Amino acid sequence: MNVLIIEDEKALARELEIFLTNYNYICDICFDGTSASEKVAVNLYDFILIDLGLPDYDGLDLLKEAKKNNPDSAYIILTARAEINDRITGLDMGADDYLAKPFSLLELQSRMQAITRRKYGLKNNVIQLGDFLVNLTERTISFGSEPIPGITKKEFDLVAYLILHKNRTVTRNQLSEHIWGSVVNDDYDSNYIDAHIKNIRKKLNAYATTDWLETVRGLGYKVKINA
Amino acid sequence: MKLKTKLTLFNTISKLVIVTLFVLLLPVLIRNINQNFTDNKLQKQKTKLLKIIRTYGVKDYAYAAYSPLKEEYYNLEEDTITDHLNTIKTEPRRIEGDTIQYRILSYNFLVAKKNYLLEIGISQDTVNERSAPLQSVAFVILVGMIILTIAADQLYSDYVLRPLGRIIKTKLIGQKFPNFGSYKQVETSTEDFQYLDISIHKMIRTIESTFQKEREFISNASHELMTPISILQSKIENMFESEEISDEVKLRLLELQKILYRLKSITKTLLLISQIENDQFLREDSITLCALLHEINEEISIRLQDKNITLNISIAEDWTLVKINKFLLYNLFFNLINNAIKYNKEGGEINIEALRENNTYSVKITDTGIGISPEDLPYIFNRFKKLRQSLQQESFGLGLPIVHSIADFHHIKIDVKSEKGVGSVFKLVFPKELIG
Repeated sequence: MNVLIIEDEKALARELEIFLTNYNYICDICFDGTSASEKVAVNLYDFILIDLGLPDYDGLDLLKEAKKNNPDSAYIILTARAEINDRITGLDMGADDYLAKPFSLLELQSRMQAITRRKYGLKNNVIQLGDFLVNLTERTISFGSEPIPGITKKEFDLVAYLILHKNRTVTRNQLSEHIWGSVVNDDYDSNYIDAHIKNIRKKLNAYATTDWLETVRGLGYKVKINA
Repeated sequence: MKLKTKLTLFNTISKLVIVTLFVLLLPVLIRNINQNFTDNKLQKQKTKLLKIIRTYGVKDYAYAAYSPLKEEYYNLEEDTITDHLNTIKTEPRRIEGDTIQYRILSYNFLVAKKNYLLEIGISQDTVNERSAPLQSVAFVILVGMIILTIAADQLYSDYVLRPLGRIIKTKLIGQKFPNFGSYKQVETSTEDFQYLDISIHKMIRTIESTFQKEREFISNASHELMTPISILQSKIENMFESEEISDEVKLRLLELQKILYRLKSITKTLLLISQIENDQFLREDSITLCALLHEINEEISIRLQDKNITLNISIAEDWTLVKINKFLLYNLFFNLINNAIKYNKEGGEINIEALRENNTYSVKITDTGIGISPEDLPYIFNRFKKLRQSLQQESFGLGLPIVHSIADFHHIKIDVKSEKGVGSVFKLVFPKELIG
């Protein structure tokens, strides 16, 4: 899939490019609004990531302009100015999602995946994990034909996030940011991820082994799925 | 006591004292005046009589006489006293069996080698009769004048102090720092008040601009920090995923990530506080309090479980809040409950109850934690203030400042009571307009 990254912070743009290329996206980069405006006029993209705070262009104007030639692209707004009004205006103007800086690259990837699933109506939403079936649409984990009861929202979110980044180690901080992201509090190290994982294992181990959910010593967790 | 009340009181009391003094002195004064008047009259009569005697000879007039009502008395007779006598005295005289007090002028003189004594008297009663009406007239005039001056003083001090009242009312009372609104000059011709008004205005402006600068600074600083943090975070994440990096380096990258998350957390929190203080949130949501608390309970249950703490929520199901910001209120309760967990004992309890007392609505969050010592209590809402007992906790001292900003934003009052070793009670008092 083609991605246009419009970001005036070159270092950040490069990191986005490295990361997305790793996930098999084909990336194009612009560091300012003028060149971005030229690019959207001639090329077609699946994803357009727009930084709202461009030096030479109003990000929202650029969004409007890009929509003319790339009406089917998915737009994700990236911004350091997390003004509430910007967010509302951005989404009103047809952006598909909105990420406030600083964001985790994994979070960006999961949002892009979610948009893809929504846009293309992916049917393949049931994933086999050992003897379990995880249904990402219905948000259930089943053993045999029956969904396992008592899985909380947070627990499912964790499993789904690990599945999305399958075969990669996801750190506790990354997991924590994903599931606690909307809460602003003053803890910086108590992320309770281990406790959640322990609960998940306990609930699932009653049915079958969970060796697909690996603890990567000292680093984090990983869901192993053999392609 | 108000300045105006003081002035009025002083005015009235001082004037009453003057009146009382005057009323007490009045009889004496009037008597003196009367006596002078009588004495003068007697002297004049004496002069007239002497003139008559000199013209017509002494013999025809040497007799004693008094008017039928005994108000006046006259006596001229030969006398043996040789000393020269010319006095006016108050003395009794017996006339037809009555003893009457007279004001008497006594004067002796020589005519043809004979000594004569002249006495003219006016009865004291006659004198006194004149005093009474004089006294009452004087009294009435006095009281009238006093009332007039009190009224005049009152009116004038009212008028002259009015600008002061206006300064106090519009500039000081009910002004919520630092939101003062625009300056409106108080009209007055009194220089002192003009000076006071201008000075207050200047001070308010200074405070206001300092506040504004601080807010802008925090807002800009946190915004500006977001981009470099974002770059660092992305770099670390990418490095972490790269295959040529050993697990040992990965562990160190993880340490970096942890520190970065801490920095990010602080920056985000400061930004949130500054956004709240700059009024950048809408107050358009309505929520069921019970549902909100259960949502938080679900979110936070892992932390409760971790310390084996029981959370009891007893709030009527239909209790709704309106004109609030859900995101902010969620964070307010989350932080309060999170604190109640953090500073609680293993196996402790947290009770949340809603109270409805005399038209006020409040929510009380009671924990069985370590409590806050009285000397720390005034500072718990200060930013970055870490209390001695919380040093071992992994926090940076912005939890309660968030709570405070959010409560302020919604005009919710927070009462904190705490006892060391027993626990703390955070009571949120909701203004009436938030109750659905």
